[in-house]
Amino acid sequence: MTRWLQKIFVAVLTFASLTLLEADSVAHHSFAMFDFTKAISFKGSVKEFLWTNPHVILWFSVDPAKEGDPRPVWWAELTSPGNLTRVGWSKHSFKANEPIEIEIHPLRDGSQGGAFKQAKRLETGEVLTSNLRDAERPGLH
Amino acid sequence: MRAIRGFNWVASLLLAGAWACQPALPAPATSAHEPVDVDSAAPSASSPAPGAAAPQEDPKRAASWGALAQLPDWDGSWNPNITDQNAQIKSNPVPWNVNAALEVARLGELEKAGHPKGLFVNCLPEGMPAWMLITHNALEFLCSPGRVTILGESDGNRIRRIYTDGRAHPQDPDLSFHGHSIGHWENDTLVVDTVAVLPQTFLAVSEAVGLPNDGDLHVVERFHLVEPDILADDLEIEAPHLLSRPWKTQRRYFRQRSHKFDVVEGVCQQGFFSPQVDADGHHVFVPVPQTEDGNPVPSATPGRAQPAPANPTAKRAQK
Repeated sequence: MTRWLQKIFVAVLTFASLTLLEADSVAHHSFAMFDFTKAISFKGSVKEFLWTNPHVILWFSVDPAKEGDPRPVWWAELTSPGNLTRVGWSKHSFKANEPIEIEIHPLRDGSQGGAFKQAKRLETGEVLTSNLRDAERPGLH
Repeated sequence: MRAIRGFNWVASLLLAGAWACQPALPAPATSAHEPVDVDSAAPSASSPAPGAAAPQEDPKRAASWGALAQLPDWDGSWNPNITDQNAQIKSNPVPWNVNAALEVARLGELEKAGHPKGLFVNCLPEGMPAWMLITHNALEFLCSPGRVTILGESDGNRIRRIYTDGRAHPQDPDLSFHGHSIGHWENDTLVVDTVAVLPQTFLAVSEAVGLPNDGDLHVVERFHLVEPDILADDLEIEAPHLLSRPWKTQRRYFRQRSHKFDVVEGVCQQGFFSPQVDADGHHVFVPVPQTEDGNPVPSATPGRAQPAPANPTAKRAQK
């Protein structure tokens, strides 16, 4: 089993509860394409942070030799810019080429993409998440 | 809307020309050579007669704008409470009829099995009633004389025009994604009646599970504050081709007043394109190859990472 596959783990929460928690990571898609019972993590670098509707996309590059997977380019899908703004993000949340450690819920079909779970900016140590339920209250500043 | 934030009513009058819902204004004088907008030039029952007061001096018009200050304060942006949406679906499930229930159960099984298709991958508007039921995006209310307009974030095609000027529904309305809505105020509650919705719009419980309403949809809503910053939309949905009885449910929204949370522009189809610079140096959108499920194909990563080769004859290069 490759190291990449070894990184796949079954989350403690049930599928239903994970869907409940993470379903807002995308807006116009069905969430069925992502396997929320699994998460895979990578160390890599930001290729492009595409701050656009309806979904923000974080493209990232990984070293196939280190990750044990021959595919060097992956993407993580997030919710809309407006929603991310309300949980503290901006178009400057990531910059091209910066090193990151990222965790995604992978596509069920095994292709190189997934729903964003969280990412750590290795230069600053900042950890970014995108759960809209973290901000379900009025009067934010 | 008790006070249109940032404006007094006089300022509102000055800015009224920017509102689509303003009362009809007299057509501007045109010369014989100027193009004529046939709509604005057409006689209007509400246009003042020659010699009447200018719009800025029309006391009835001023009063209609001033009266908006008496409406409840729904300023700011309103965000759906997604946790409550999910709770509502579980605690107060949709009363599907027998056939619809079978179809919904099948869709639910497909979703659990990883069926990737979503109801809105094609970027057509969610429409009524799905927008109100399952949106994850903010919306805002604009009040003007005789009309309340709801604008939704994430895609510019989320617009509801609710006429509060006392009109009735048209006898033979054109069908649309959001239907024809008329409303009235009962104290601080906006009561909205919506018909003429396209039969293709979904009654949805998620972005994967929902059915076309199949026609004759009728929605009555009561928008009202339940707390100073919590707005409720009490919906009663009649969908005779899907439901065994009218479905009463509620959706809640919480308010942000900070300008940094203002509703922003969104264009759903923008996600189908990548911003690139073409061979002539122009910034252009180029379609991104996608799977049928709406996922980008990684081999076509965004253009800025893979810029098109420079063209020595490009206009920009000649400058």
